[in-house]
Amino acid sequence: MTPLAQYKPIARQLVTMIAVMLAFAASEALAHAIGGRDAAFVAATRGPAPGPFLYLGAKHMVTGYDHLLFLFGVIFFLTRFRDVVLYVTLFSLGHSITLLSGVLIGFGLDSYLVDAAIGLSVVYKAFDNVGGFEQTVGFRPGPRLIVFGFGLIHGLGLATKLEQLGLNPQGLLVNLVSFNVGVEFGQVAALTVLLALIAMWRRTRLFNTTAVAANFAIMTAGFVLMGLQLAGYVWGPAL
Amino acid sequence: MSTEAEIAAPPARRTILLLTLCAVAAALLILFAAVLPAEYNRDPTGLGRLTGIARLWAPEEQKIGGAITGAPASRSYPVPFRSDIVEIQLATGDDTNGGNELEYKVHLEKGASYVYSWSVSGVSDPEEFYTEFHGHTVTNGKSMTVAEYRKATGASDNGVLTAPFTGIHGWYFQNQSVPAVKITLRLAGFYTLIPAGQPGNEKGLGARQLAP
Repeated sequence: MTPLAQYKPIARQLVTMIAVMLAFAASEALAHAIGGRDAAFVAATRGPAPGPFLYLGAKHMVTGYDHLLFLFGVIFFLTRFRDVVLYVTLFSLGHSITLLSGVLIGFGLDSYLVDAAIGLSVVYKAFDNVGGFEQTVGFRPGPRLIVFGFGLIHGLGLATKLEQLGLNPQGLLVNLVSFNVGVEFGQVAALTVLLALIAMWRRTRLFNTTAVAANFAIMTAGFVLMGLQLAGYVWGPAL
Repeated sequence: MSTEAEIAAPPARRTILLLTLCAVAAALLILFAAVLPAEYNRDPTGLGRLTGIARLWAPEEQKIGGAITGAPASRSYPVPFRSDIVEIQLATGDDTNGGNELEYKVHLEKGASYVYSWSVSGVSDPEEFYTEFHGHTVTNGKSMTVAEYRKATGASDNGVLTAPFTGIHGWYFQNQSVPAVKITLRLAGFYTLIPAGQPGNEKGLGARQLAP
């Protein structure tokens, strides 16, 4: 075996990783927030408006690549449907707790730092998926507990976005719960697509050779999200 | 401990660490070459300028109307009076390299005025010559103030401008007709010219100053 030959698998993974990353590249540019007309609507709403908030919650999840990337990582190696349900329920439980309490109590956390932590959750899950913890420290933190914990952080992200919009106290609880239910609907919709894609992917011979690379591509995207948010924390809002 | 959500054959420890480093390196490259220049106007490595991505960043515009109210009918200025003629050549409207358009502005302090008169020769149809008369502040900061005075097609315009704020005030000219054209712009008032290459005179046009 030549000295270079041992690097061949790494090189192959790298090339695949870059290819998968290009697929993510297009959507990486912007921080994920509620914006434009939606933000104006939220700020102007007084009293309960369950329909619109349901829609906004679903839209926020379906268009929220930070949440979707994490979910993608979570379900990546789940082959049994009941495991998918279990993990997604744990995630939903986590983010519902902090979404509701975050807005009602108002933790006043910096949204950039919360979003950077969400980026970290993406990195963590990708590292976990490739067996990173067992292979480096010989111990893998319980994935169920972890997905619940990161669910709490993702919920804080949702809460800080809503808080920034200055929700009116009138009808707050109804609107908040509607938004949360919308988030779950959006999550189911997004998961249906993600699961179908993974199932198709898993059935191909390509899966075994691309799975590791795909997770490192997800990890890269997580690092980019972290950098983007930390830059926002240091320099103020992106324009 | 649960066994679900695990990879069947994890890569070797060294592979994982190497690929993690690669992921960090790729993320840093994406951040410094693309995301930070485009989103935050921060380009410490110069990569954003190199790829042109830095141009995506534009300061937030704060538009104000061009009208000044309550200005006294008679005003005197500490800036010396000057008068210039600027000749501008524009390529055919078919030019895809941007040779058919140009910005020319001069610097005015708030409240200072100039009288202007420009006309274009060579256009086949006055409707095929477009101008935007506008002004804005020059800033590397987060926002700039913009005033739009007039957007129109036509082969000439005359008038007077009193600057609503200190900044650069002038024209965007665009030739849409087939022949190349020549614009003759006359200015007189209390302005200063912008050195070649700086905002407002990116093409480095020279002005012929008339004897005071």
